[in-house]
Amino acid sequence: MTQVLATTVVVASLYALLAAGYVLVYRATRVLNLAQGDMMTLGGYFLFLVATAAPGEPARAIAGAAALSALAGFLIYRLLMRPMAGHPIFAAVLVTVTLGILLRAAIVLVYTDRIRHPLGLLGLANPARPLIGGAVVSTFDLFTVGAAAALFAALFLFLRFSPLGIQMRAAGEKPLLASQRGINFHLVFALSWALAGFAGALAGILYANNVRLDPSLGVLGLKAFAVALVGGLDSLGGVVPGALIVALVEVLSVRYGDPLLADVSPFLCLLAMLLVRPWGLYGTKEELERV
Amino acid sequence: MRGGGYFKTTYAADLALVDTRLRRRALAALVFLLLVLPRVASPFILDLVAQTALAAVGALALNVLTGLAGQISLGHAGFIAAGAFTTGLLVENGLRSPLIALPAAAVVGAALGIVVGIPALRLKGLYLALGTLALHHVVLYACAEFQNHWGANTGVSVPPPALGPWVLKGVVAWYYALTLAAALTLALSVNLRRSRAGRAWMAIRDREIAAESVGIDVARYKVLAFVWSSAITAVAGALFAYHRAFVSVEAFGFFLAVEYIAMIIIGGLGSALGAVLGAAFVTLLPHVLDAMVAGLRLAGGAAYYLFPLKFGAFGLLMAVFLLFEPQGLVGIWRRVRNWFALWPLRYRPLRSAS
Amino acid sequence: MARLTRLVALLTVVALAPPAAAQYRIGMSAAITGPASSTYAPTYEAYKVYFQRVNDAGGINGQKVEIAYEDDRGEPQRAAANAKKLGEGTILMVNASTSATYKPFMTESESEKIPLLFGGGVCPREAFPPASPLIFCSTSFGSKWDSRFALGFIKEQSGGKKVKVGFAAQDIPLSRIELEFAEQLAKEMGLDPIPVVVVPGNTPDFTPFAQKLKDAGAEWVLSWALWHVEVGVFEALQRIGWPGRYLLYGHQQTQDELARLKAPSLHAFGGNTLFMENLPIHTEITGLVKGQTTHPPHYMAEGWVSAMVLEAALKKCGWPCSRDKLAAAMAGVSIDTRGLRGGSIEWSADNHYRKNTYYKVYRWDPARSSIVSVGGWTRLEIK
Repeated sequence: MTQVLATTVVVASLYALLAAGYVLVYRATRVLNLAQGDMMTLGGYFLFLVATAAPGEPARAIAGAAALSALAGFLIYRLLMRPMAGHPIFAAVLVTVTLGILLRAAIVLVYTDRIRHPLGLLGLANPARPLIGGAVVSTFDLFTVGAAAALFAALFLFLRFSPLGIQMRAAGEKPLLASQRGINFHLVFALSWALAGFAGALAGILYANNVRLDPSLGVLGLKAFAVALVGGLDSLGGVVPGALIVALVEVLSVRYGDPLLADVSPFLCLLAMLLVRPWGLYGTKEELERV
Repeated sequence: MRGGGYFKTTYAADLALVDTRLRRRALAALVFLLLVLPRVASPFILDLVAQTALAAVGALALNVLTGLAGQISLGHAGFIAAGAFTTGLLVENGLRSPLIALPAAAVVGAALGIVVGIPALRLKGLYLALGTLALHHVVLYACAEFQNHWGANTGVSVPPPALGPWVLKGVVAWYYALTLAAALTLALSVNLRRSRAGRAWMAIRDREIAAESVGIDVARYKVLAFVWSSAITAVAGALFAYHRAFVSVEAFGFFLAVEYIAMIIIGGLGSALGAVLGAAFVTLLPHVLDAMVAGLRLAGGAAYYLFPLKFGAFGLLMAVFLLFEPQGLVGIWRRVRNWFALWPLRYRPLRSAS
Repeated sequence: MARLTRLVALLTVVALAPPAAAQYRIGMSAAITGPASSTYAPTYEAYKVYFQRVNDAGGINGQKVEIAYEDDRGEPQRAAANAKKLGEGTILMVNASTSATYKPFMTESESEKIPLLFGGGVCPREAFPPASPLIFCSTSFGSKWDSRFALGFIKEQSGGKKVKVGFAAQDIPLSRIELEFAEQLAKEMGLDPIPVVVVPGNTPDFTPFAQKLKDAGAEWVLSWALWHVEVGVFEALQRIGWPGRYLLYGHQQTQDELARLKAPSLHAFGGNTLFMENLPIHTEITGLVKGQTTHPPHYMAEGWVSAMVLEAALKKCGWPCSRDKLAAAMAGVSIDTRGLRGGSIEWSADNHYRKNTYYKVYRWDPARSSIVSVGGWTRLEIK
């Protein structure tokens, strides 16, 4: 039982990192970024890139990969998403799909399809850690939980107290009013994309060390949709309970139900939420009327 | 649509789908071209055209839902799978006739359309897209379970459809059959657009509250859009099963749903012609890329990189299209037509509303 | 519109291009990109290098071998289009892709009467006796026989005791059906099977699946799936302190992965000799593929064997070689695998898999700090 809880928290942390990316981009631009999963893969490969260049220096490699991913997020906004402003939202969503194709192709072009494990390159190990109650997790499982907690704490502080964060919130809540108050939208949007790239990269970096790195990891991103929607597409705070619910249902269905249901269980959560409370646990109700 | 000075004088002329002599001739030329194509083209080309036609059936169906009624669906591949698996299930149980399978697929599709359409009334935009995406996964899960229960590891074989002694087999026969299916769907969807339902859908798409205030039963017409769309889509799925002679759950992934969305957006949302052009674009693009690099001889291991490069180019071209041609292929078509219509005068024509 | 016209024109030009000069024309479809490509792309690369060498040396029977390669990404839709394309003007189609692509290729093979060689993906039922006349398979892994060997190995290793065996399948039909068969077989062989645990390929965490196997008390676990699932379940089992032993099918990655994991309880079985044995053929392949492939030499074994079989078949077919003639020639082919496999590949009229199949098991030996084989080759006669 403790193992179930431990695994749930670990999986939820991974989902939360991914879902944070969806929510950040959605709040700012109302676009659903279908390439978030591939941005996660990209983060993992950035780690591999930096680690190959300078092996045995994990701290520098991880910082470098995260910075590169944030930069990639910004560039994606600047080159692809900004020109889509004013186009139908769904065309913009489709652009993110093509972005996913581009990222996957680029990764294969550079690194081929082989499964990689950057852990060895970094000179790290991933030993098992027994917890109280008999559960066992890996070291990078713990890092994943820590990273998710740190990211959400940092985002909370940033959005609550820093002027830029307050501007981001304003732009997300009432775009028209915000623009009339002189908030620089392009800055807010670019920052959102960069943060989404950063959050996705954290997930990718940790997953690459913990499990594996291959160009099709991005499919995990689809499951994190369910998390974002269960929590409320425009609510960062909703991501945490959303992730815990989805992960718990998934882990429980493996443990006590049909393991095959694990793959669809996030979507069943999503459907249930859409039927009961379409705007999600903490989402804004008017949001549904506005889109 | 056309410049001034051209008026219709009879009710029949107003009703006609092909209303000018030029259009009649163009249509006749197109039909002639399609009829003689099997005499000149290789089986591979014919198969590509047949694939395009099949994709066009699916894209036209999605266009009814998304283009006309404004309801975005990411569950299109799920509906196709439902149609294909209905056929597989019937064939497995000895009911091999397409006269049973096609209507059955339509009924299953329509039923699924109601199942999805009613809850979808509460949802809009991206929320609806996500809901249909979730449904896609549920349908595929059910199909995978079916497939495993049949013990069919590489898919269920579907024998060619037969009507009495006449068996639909071979590339040429399928080419005609699928082109005909696409033509019928095209006619149906053009007529649907002109019907009461079609006008109601477009009103809902453009402004739901306004539509409701002029007396359109929004809920009813939204569900109706789902029913029409998913019924046609499921028939496309059944045709897919017969055409490819197998059904397997791997053929209906999320990417297929995205491809169909891409078809109608790249083609030009809301336009039947656009759906057909978009279907051709998305279906043929990978093969065009293949053909373009076919002549390249790269030394050593470099040849490997052509394959991911082609995949990337597919994404890139789609992105470029979305960025620079928001009106879609049909927008290009309209510009070209206007240019000819206005020639030799050259001024920028007014943008059409759609 | 102008763009479209140009595209159509281009297509037409390509379609009407005159056929190349007389030579052995062959079509190959492989999952060169896509999620499963790490297993199948090396086969494509091996073919490329192999036949480049054959052609440079003057070809076969004085004729060049011209192979058209297509990528199907492991998707049935693309495979169907490829089958149509590759079935034109060729005397043989080769498939090195996921089982999802088999049906369209078999359909095309049957309707065009063109022989079909499975050269990298799991061998389909149709290649085993009684074989269907046009379906051949050179791949080292084949359904049912793999389970027969694996369970026999487990039984032998546990000294004939009634050990508890768990099964970790992937949620692809092929893997599930194989391991469900193995579960049945284990019962017949006097082992104590635990119901198959099916793992979705894109699960974020393998721990719950591993926990299930551990809780059921598995002493051995057999996995037969794509590499990342096989190894993902093992790593999770190891982490939660499972004391048992693990047997998986060794795909191309085996050598790297055994050395990475350094786990003595992890056993990999398969039909190909690992390159760490350093046989003369291994050195030869390593030299030949240098700078010619994106994958390392030890990924080439599967494709190399397949290319050897094809070369032998073409040689036997002579010139000119038609589809019928080639199918007949293939049905009588027998090649020495020069140590890449445990023995020769022999095809007969009703057996297009091979007369005898050989398996070997490898694992990491911490004492010697290297990969070692567990026993020698085991021969199974295919009936």
